[in-house]
Amino acid sequence: MIVRWLPIFAPALLGLILAVWYNQSDLANPTFVLRAQISALIALAGFGLSALAAVGLILSDWVERRHIKTLLEAAEERRRFLTRLDHELKNPLTAIFAGLANLNSDVPAEDRKASTASIEAQMKRLRGLVSDLRKLADLETRQLERAPVDLSELLRDNFELLQERIEPASRQISLSIPQAPWPLPQVSGDRDLLFLAVHNLLDNAIKFSSPGDAIELRAYEDGSDVVIEVADTGPGIPESEQAQVWNELYRGEGARGISGSGLGLALVRSIVQRHGGKVTLRSRLGQGTVFALHLPASEVTRR
Amino acid sequence: MPRLQTILLVDDERAITENLAPFLERSGFDVQVASDGEQALELLPEVNPDLLVLDVLMPKIDGREVLRRLRSQGNWVPILLLTQVGEAGERAMALEEGADDYLNKPFDPHELVARIRAVLRRARPGKPPLAAAWQLKCGELSLDRRSRRVYLKSDELTLTPKAVALLEYLMTHPDELVSRDRLLDVVWGWDYPVGTRAVDTRIAELRRELGDDAADPRYIETIPGQGYRFAADVEGLE
Repeated sequence: MIVRWLPIFAPALLGLILAVWYNQSDLANPTFVLRAQISALIALAGFGLSALAAVGLILSDWVERRHIKTLLEAAEERRRFLTRLDHELKNPLTAIFAGLANLNSDVPAEDRKASTASIEAQMKRLRGLVSDLRKLADLETRQLERAPVDLSELLRDNFELLQERIEPASRQISLSIPQAPWPLPQVSGDRDLLFLAVHNLLDNAIKFSSPGDAIELRAYEDGSDVVIEVADTGPGIPESEQAQVWNELYRGEGARGISGSGLGLALVRSIVQRHGGKVTLRSRLGQGTVFALHLPASEVTRR
Repeated sequence: MPRLQTILLVDDERAITENLAPFLERSGFDVQVASDGEQALELLPEVNPDLLVLDVLMPKIDGREVLRRLRSQGNWVPILLLTQVGEAGERAMALEEGADDYLNKPFDPHELVARIRAVLRRARPGKPPLAAAWQLKCGELSLDRRSRRVYLKSDELTLTPKAVALLEYLMTHPDELVSRDRLLDVVWGWDYPVGTRAVDTRIAELRRELGDDAADPRYIETIPGQGYRFAADVEGLE
């Protein structure tokens, strides 16, 4: 550390030596005053250079420390992800082992049938997990299709699908898309992926709410962004978990025992970020949750 | 009784061949197994299979290399590639290098049998498959697979890359019923929830550009509740 800081004093020291030497050297005739001023200037230049170098060094240290911090955080998140993945794989595997043990010939045919069905269900769960992991990996490398996407239409399609999926009386669902004074601007991107993102949010809203709860799908313009929100009157997410729910395979307390790969929100985040947007959430325990996708509107359709 | 058709199953994962071989046999095929590309090339003249099921990732000589060697020797034995998870480029490669079809792992064994049957039905002994052609032609419609451009008469059509991929798959599998799920897999390489709509949107886009009437199609026929079929004859050009 000291060795890194030593060279900083070199310009100051050099300036000082030069100043003293210049001041004392015996030159022919120029006035004493002028000599004194020049030597002061030289010393000042030296100190200035030293100060500049010091600021530079402090800045680069700060940048480096921040870089290390993000690296450490990424390493930590990766470690947590592997732990969760391990956990996520263990449960279906344990169930499959148990199911296989029931397939002996001395087990009644009826029970064997149930075990086979259970094994198949666990295999499907594993396949779903692998498939979602692949989507995540794929999203990072795949080239994004950039075409104008009509969000109003996309939201209506999604809403229709929601109506088909749930018992009409079980949730109060509503859709609100602004039409006046002008319709929602288009965004540029991949319609299928954006559809998937909204679909995943609605899927969660159904999973985490109960009969009688309300689910709202709505959109509005916010400056140069389009914001899509999915709101529910479900149980809400504790504040301590809110930052983590976007992480791969993260499961909060309230999500235990609820089916899903644990990658739905991670996929949503990845899709939105690939479109140059960001995701946010607001939630209150006992009241409900709002998930929001902020997408930059395409230049063409903006006034 | 007609001769059973022979399949050479090539995969280095024994857990897969051990379970898959009996399943294929029960489905009515004579099955031989090779555990890597080298062994497959050795066995080939002796077994003389009607079709190869070839895994891509294998030690010694991988599936890709086997495919390349056979095709460069002018050997057009039908090949079905088992591609790996997560490699979007691998699927395009599979068709470009002359595989007849491909299937992503993990797959349902019934799907494999269905695919094998479709490839065998389409195969023209000793001749390159449509999947190996660089240009696909069907009357006034032509698709250049290198440049990913589609022409109707001499006008170039403006299609999204996904629509081109769909058309390419349909044209290389003429007269075959292709399910929506399969088409989704072609475009995405992963299962996509609520995908039927995504496929229908793209097919509508294709029909609009091709000037094809869904009620009286020249090219793409809808099989209600099942999928789509490219109804016209396709010619492959080098």
